Amino acid sequence: MMRIPILKLHNYLLISIQIDLDDQTAIQFQEDLLKKIHETGATGVVIDLTSVDIVDSYIAKVLGDVVSMSDLMGAKVVLTGIQPAVAITLIDLGIHLKDVPTSLDLEKGLIKLRQELEE
Amino acid sequence: MDTVLQDIVLGNSDEIVKKWINEVEKNSVHKYSLTISEELFDSTNREFVNVIFVSVQNQGSKDDLKDFAERIINFGWPLNYLTEGMQAFRRVTTNFIIERSETLDAERFKQVLESVDEWVDPIVNFLVSEYSGSWESTVSLQKVALQELSAPLIPVMDGITVMPLIGTIDTERAKLIMENLLEGAIKHNAEVVLIDITGVPVVDTMVAHHIIQAAEAVRLVGSTCILVGIRPEIAQTIVNLGIDLSKFPTKSSLRKGFQSALEITDRAVVNLKDKGNEMENMIDSLNKG
Repeated sequence: MMRIPILKLHNYLLISIQIDLDDQTAIQFQEDLLKKIHETGATGVVIDLTSVDIVDSYIAKVLGDVVSMSDLMGAKVVLTGIQPAVAITLIDLGIHLKDVPTSLDLEKGLIKLRQELEE
Repeated sequence: MDTVLQDIVLGNSDEIVKKWINEVEKNSVHKYSLTISEELFDSTNREFVNVIFVSVQNQGSKDDLKDFAERIINFGWPLNYLTEGMQAFRRVTTNFIIERSETLDAERFKQVLESVDEWVDPIVNFLVSEYSGSWESTVSLQKVALQELSAPLIPVMDGITVMPLIGTIDTERAKLIMENLLEGAIKHNAEVVLIDITGVPVVDTMVAHHIIQAAEAVRLVGSTCILVGIRPEIAQTIVNLGIDLSKFPTKSSLRKGFQSALEITDRAVVNLKDKGNEMENMIDSLNKG
């Protein structure tokens, strides 16, 4: 099983997912991230999905959960770099990730995060 | 026996041609005479009947027929000119052979019909397939052209991209639109994507559904989607159909949409010279003078 690295940058946590997530890795990632938020007291999280080509409904649900869990722990999450194919799949599956902020790339994601935290 | 019949037909070709031309003219003089000159009609008729005779004479060879068909298709002659001509040929030839036959029993009758069919049917089949082939290629060409036109994406500004949609949207096109929209949003690094539906004549539940899906997908890849160009009647149908478009911003015109796109990307349009001030300055300078 792969562990997804979580990098800390000031108050933010950066995660770049570069493998196709399987169910176990996703759950492990969820636990790791929440632990990390707890340890570091991070206020913002950027999850970059640029290299993810396939997302199934379970992974999508986990991602959605991670976002609302992190929110509960006081860290805003932005998803970045969702690929067109992935977006189409998610919409077709009826997963709209309604309250999840998204951005085109990491840079815009960080800007968005700062805006959201300032508000 | 076949060759005997063939000889009768070929030997009396002049007479048959005369009868055939009469028949064709009787049938079609009121149909084509409006658009096609008489000489052209005559020459085409003669050519047509020649081609028929040639292909009756050397069964199987279709070169002349192919040439003729190509030319006549290019010219835009209707298909029913050819089919009617072939039907006339069948009638004329059958009548002619039967008139010439000394003995007329069921067997002979059958033979005549069969051999005339043998001459006529391959020609008809060939002509019809040539025609439908040309139609099919036209349709497929047009389909390609339509697809090229169907989902253009225009990057008007850094971070702002417009997709003007014109014409009816069906499922296939909606798919193309969504793909182009997403690919384009990422390629042009567009923060805001404006979908302009000014040119979409009808927005029904299906079209709305496709547009909503596209907008949601655009949001997932990280851009904002604004739907612009909603005409009054479109607004009415959308509300009457109970379609919920409240989830993403809509604007009545591209101009207004562009304005809010600028706001989202933290920009504004600034006049380099203030026209009002300029007027005042001018009046001032006149007063001074």
